[in-house]
Amino acid sequence: MATRLQFENNCEVGVFSKLTNAYCLVAIGGSENFYSAFESELADVIPIVKTSIGGTRIIGRLCAGNKNGLLVPHTATDQELQHLRNSLPDEVVVQRIDERLSALGNCIACNDHVALAHTDLDKETEEIIADVLGVEVFRQTIAGNILVGSYCALSNRGGMVHPHTSVEDLDELSTLLQVPLVAGTVNRGSEVIAAGMTVNDWTSFCGSDTTATELSVIDSIFKLREAKPSAIVDEMRKSLIDTYV
Amino acid sequence: MRLVKCWFCSSTIYPGHGIQFVRNDAKIFRFCRSKCHKNFKMKRNPRKVKWTKAFRAAHGKDMTQDKTFEFEKKRNRPERYDRNVTENTLMAIKKIDKIRSERSAKHIEKRLKTNKPKIHIEATKELKNDITLIKAPQALLQDPKKKIKVDVSKSKSVQNEAMEE
Repeated sequence: MATRLQFENNCEVGVFSKLTNAYCLVAIGGSENFYSAFESELADVIPIVKTSIGGTRIIGRLCAGNKNGLLVPHTATDQELQHLRNSLPDEVVVQRIDERLSALGNCIACNDHVALAHTDLDKETEEIIADVLGVEVFRQTIAGNILVGSYCALSNRGGMVHPHTSVEDLDELSTLLQVPLVAGTVNRGSEVIAAGMTVNDWTSFCGSDTTATELSVIDSIFKLREAKPSAIVDEMRKSLIDTYV
Repeated sequence: MRLVKCWFCSSTIYPGHGIQFVRNDAKIFRFCRSKCHKNFKMKRNPRKVKWTKAFRAAHGKDMTQDKTFEFEKKRNRPERYDRNVTENTLMAIKKIDKIRSERSAKHIEKRLKTNKPKIHIEATKELKNDITLIKAPQALLQDPKKKIKVDVSKSKSVQNEAMEE
């Protein structure tokens, strides 16, 4: 079920947080309301780690990760790296990358099986991504935009892309990533999906400006809707009934 | 806080010192003082500037290949904090530093030491080949051990004549 929240009166939640199936990273300096919104949903399930990267709060856009690993840019200090390593479970490999394009969250969109990468990423970086995150890497663009990490929000069960993505592109990406995709918006029409929301397999967090329509689209594509009996019957009716007499 | 190396002279840059230049291709150049920065702006190659570590390494003046250098490198995959490991690492750092400085001093000593066997060989070779600079070739042909008799004319001494009178 998608939750609406704000970080210091800013609706770009995906900038100040990073949510995966194994951990959640949150920026420091915001009010405890932001932190407690995450805690109420995720407290006992996965660790929530307050951190900064290179002394900044825009951690969601700087790092890329999934349940297997976390990649941070070269701007991350040794102390921050050590803090991440100590706070995250041992199964998650924390790796710092020396890369010209240091905003890894904007360049890499990934889930637990597959990743989309910026077309200009180094060959070494691509290999490190495949090794640390345990994913298959595809160099792609979304709606002609090379910053795949910011215009696509991906989870294991679905994905949402830039609203101006053509149907052909959508089909192509869908077959590549093996998940259903939809072109939509977040935060009252913002095209930068990944900056406006953050998602994992069972929850998502959006900016408080997100309309109810956008929220319902997110719920359906990422399959977050709580399964109430009536909902199941409604969806199954079509497949259960052959003919109406 | 991280102690980094100057790009030009390879000395450590402590916090609060130096200038950092970021080029358009996102490569970062760190300089310890304006001397290195100005040399960089003049487009000088540190491998040709005598007082830099790069020159000394490239021309074999300083030790370059040693196992002790492998301990000090930037690691991108951290390990979980363990107090014992940290304690041991701190003790090891001191020892490794001492060993490395001893080895580099030995390297320089070896470099400056005179190579006696080599000098001896070169001297004998010179003696064999260039002896004609000192002794005439004719003189060399004669046997030095054979004694040659030379007639010496006996002249009366002046003192004896005076005494005879």
